[in-house]
Amino acid sequence: MSSSLEQLEQSLEQFVENIRQIKIIVSDFQPQGQNVLNQKIQTVVSGLQEIEKLKSQVQDVHVPLEVFDYIDSGRNPQLYTKDCMEKAMNKNEAVRGKIDSYRRFRAHLLVELTSVFPAEMAKYRAIRGDERPSS
Amino acid sequence: MMADPFRISKVEQYSPKSSPRGSRSPVVPRQDSTGTLKATISLGKNPSIVHTGPFYLIKEAPGESELTGATNLMAHYGLEHSYNKSSGRKVKDTLSSFLPNLPGQIDSSGYQDNSSLRSVIDKPPIGGKELMMLNSMQLSGFRLHPGPLPEQYRVFNQVPQKKNKHKHKRHKYKPGEAVPHHMEVVTSQTDLALAAEKKHKKQKRHDDDKERRKRKKEKKKKKSSKHSPEHAAASGGGGSGGGGSGASSQNNSQISTQ
Repeated sequence: MSSSLEQLEQSLEQFVENIRQIKIIVSDFQPQGQNVLNQKIQTVVSGLQEIEKLKSQVQDVHVPLEVFDYIDSGRNPQLYTKDCMEKAMNKNEAVRGKIDSYRRFRAHLLVELTSVFPAEMAKYRAIRGDERPSS
Repeated sequence: MMADPFRISKVEQYSPKSSPRGSRSPVVPRQDSTGTLKATISLGKNPSIVHTGPFYLIKEAPGESELTGATNLMAHYGLEHSYNKSSGRKVKDTLSSFLPNLPGQIDSSGYQDNSSLRSVIDKPPIGGKELMMLNSMQLSGFRLHPGPLPEQYRVFNQVPQKKNKHKHKRHKYKPGEAVPHHMEVVTSQTDLALAAEKKHKKQKRHDDDKERRKRKKEKKKKKSSKHSPEHAAASGGGGSGGGGSGASSQNNSQISTQ
């Protein structure tokens, strides 16, 4: 997989380089440059053929659509990975905090209820299968 | 005949009388799997409703899940290394820092010049046709006129000016090394600024020295005039001239050296 990606990357880079060279030729065109330009155009076509061939080898690569938004707005796509990781970490910590809070609340509630309704709470614990309130 | 009992039982099931909560819609069936909603209703002279189940509001506990937010999911999936790598390293914000070899200005928004990747997804290009090399007839369509491009098409040649690029790279080039031309200009400008600053400081120091020396001179002058025998005579008859003061200072210096 990595080799096919590398190959695609190389082909794309070569393609971009060809376009850049055509831009230079065209920006101040000289009559003797026509043959070179024709060659370059043929190279562009062969480059496109190569990219088309490599398409099948990278079909199973999935890219999140949000990455494109980063690229389209001129931002580094590595920031997407960073932001994703940080978001996941923050969410994980928030959920962990909620779970801990509910756990503490449950323990506290059981303690308080037991002090007020001891018989009912004993029944309740018997049904639930936990004999004593978890701390 | 067969439908009647079915209908009756259905009506009974959805009857508000049989619902434990009168306010709730009887149409929505609620199954009591726990048996905690059991109640005995006795009619007659003294009608009463007795809950036979242990608790009225008890519900089944939610199913225990092995993997919840209580665990460190980053560690669970073995992504700690990736997290540390991405969060610890300072990543430059611009796209050009990710693709430094790409020519042209790529940091501007792709929506401006309609070159966004999103537009490729929204409107996919026509494909499926085989790409063929161009023959000489087709290539003749690319025959160009000699000369530079018209003004309106030269926008792609413009290289964006990078702001403060060399701000922190003042000491990148050592004195002995060859300095690129554009850097030379910048360095020479910074050098000029530095030199001016230095000069200013030097001047200031020079002025300070001058003042200090002047003060010293005056002090010495006073001292010497106090100790010299002429002082008594001169004190009555005005100040001495410039040359005199110089002489006295000279004397003074001689005295101090002795």
